[in-house]
Amino acid sequence: MMKTIKNGLRITGFAVLLLLMTGLRGFADDKDYPDRPNPPALVNDFAQILSQDQVLELENKLEDFARTTSNQITIVTMKNLGGHDVEEYSVEVFNRWGLGQSDKNNGVLLLVSMDDHKAWITVGKGLQGVLTDAQSGIIFRNELRPAFKAGDYYKGLYDATDAIIAITRGEYKADGLHRGEHDAPLTAIIIFIIFIIIIIRIIRGGGRGGGHYYSRGGWGSFFTGMFLGNMLGGWGGGDNDSGGWGGGDGGGFDGFGGGSTDGGGAGGSW
Amino acid sequence: MKVSYILLGVLALLLLWSGCSYNSMNTGRINMNQKWANVQSQYQRRADLIPNLVATVKGAADFEKSTYIQTALARAGALHSAISNVSADQLTAAKMAEIQKASAEAQSAARMAINVAVEAYPQLKANQNFLSLQDQLEGTENRINVARNDFNKSVADFNISVTSFPGNLLARLFGFKEQLMFQADAGAENAPKVQF
Repeated sequence: MMKTIKNGLRITGFAVLLLLMTGLRGFADDKDYPDRPNPPALVNDFAQILSQDQVLELENKLEDFARTTSNQITIVTMKNLGGHDVEEYSVEVFNRWGLGQSDKNNGVLLLVSMDDHKAWITVGKGLQGVLTDAQSGIIFRNELRPAFKAGDYYKGLYDATDAIIAITRGEYKADGLHRGEHDAPLTAIIIFIIFIIIIIRIIRGGGRGGGHYYSRGGWGSFFTGMFLGNMLGGWGGGDNDSGGWGGGDGGGFDGFGGGSTDGGGAGGSW
Repeated sequence: MKVSYILLGVLALLLLWSGCSYNSMNTGRINMNQKWANVQSQYQRRADLIPNLVATVKGAADFEKSTYIQTALARAGALHSAISNVSADQLTAAKMAEIQKASAEAQSAARMAINVAVEAYPQLKANQNFLSLQDQLEGTENRINVARNDFNKSVADFNISVTSFPGNLLARLFGFKEQLMFQADAGAENAPKVQF
């Protein structure tokens, strides 16, 4: 009797699992789109149209901008898009990688497809107030297209990103982001410290006068010092280069923030 | 005595379970309605942009009497009325087809008018205002696609929760019905593209 019930449960569990798995199946074909770069990078020259120095130059410029404003401008060059439309493909890459911060949606993707001579600027919702479709179109026509027509891809990408930077500079400050990130844990940590202190007091209440060296506020201040130290470290780190979530990856780009786009932007063929 | 306790327990569990299921289905429905509102506003945007675009063409070129302009305006108006005041649960297959048709026709009429105007007045190609409005029209097309995909995804999630066993028993009880999805636009691929 017990056994049949167990077997029944097992089968039901399996069926549920199967159902979940079919439910979670993705909509688009994964292999058509590049994986999120690891280590994270803002310049992803998959089509190899740039020299190593040029990639580095662009990467540094965009990383600097991302650090000061939290806006993540990303370049992706592709040889082709496997038959996808450039607009649709850009949105897919944008949202898969999560450009921009998740609470601000302040990412910009500049994607070019070499074989079909198409480029598209896709803008996260948080930047569409300044970088409108119309502005994106102007940047494409004035900066990117002439240079790409002339075969100077580096100049096209450099000038286009310069124009995007100029327009989106005033929108967000990185400070706000990092403060926001650390504010919540800060309160939690303070409450936790107070809690620990109370616990220690209670425990020590019994053994008062025992004369242990550490118990004279030793452990209490040790923990407080540790948490305060961690906390301050977090603050300091957040505000300059090396901080962020990952940390320890050499002070470069921290990674995409999980932003998304509704498909705004503009572009065309060169 | 013991049996009644067990029964009571089972009943409590059942109640708890149906409450949870109701909440998750309801969340699914709210999510779906919100995604639908996005779709709606993007269609609306398209309908609103076309008259602006037409106005620019009219201003830059003496083009007023063209039937293409008239058609574009009429189609934009038709899209506007097709999309207005439609909530997600009013989306029958016929209504969805009507919206999609109205949208495709509006876009196609606008493109036709643009192409004809540019052919007659090549100086339009240098008109910043004209180009910008065109960017916006293209951007709207992309946004419509994204919003529709998002809507379809939310519908798929919702449909799974109301049609799979055992949730479907409760869904019937609570009156949750399966929602239709958007189909790919018929003939979207042979719509006229703006070319110059």
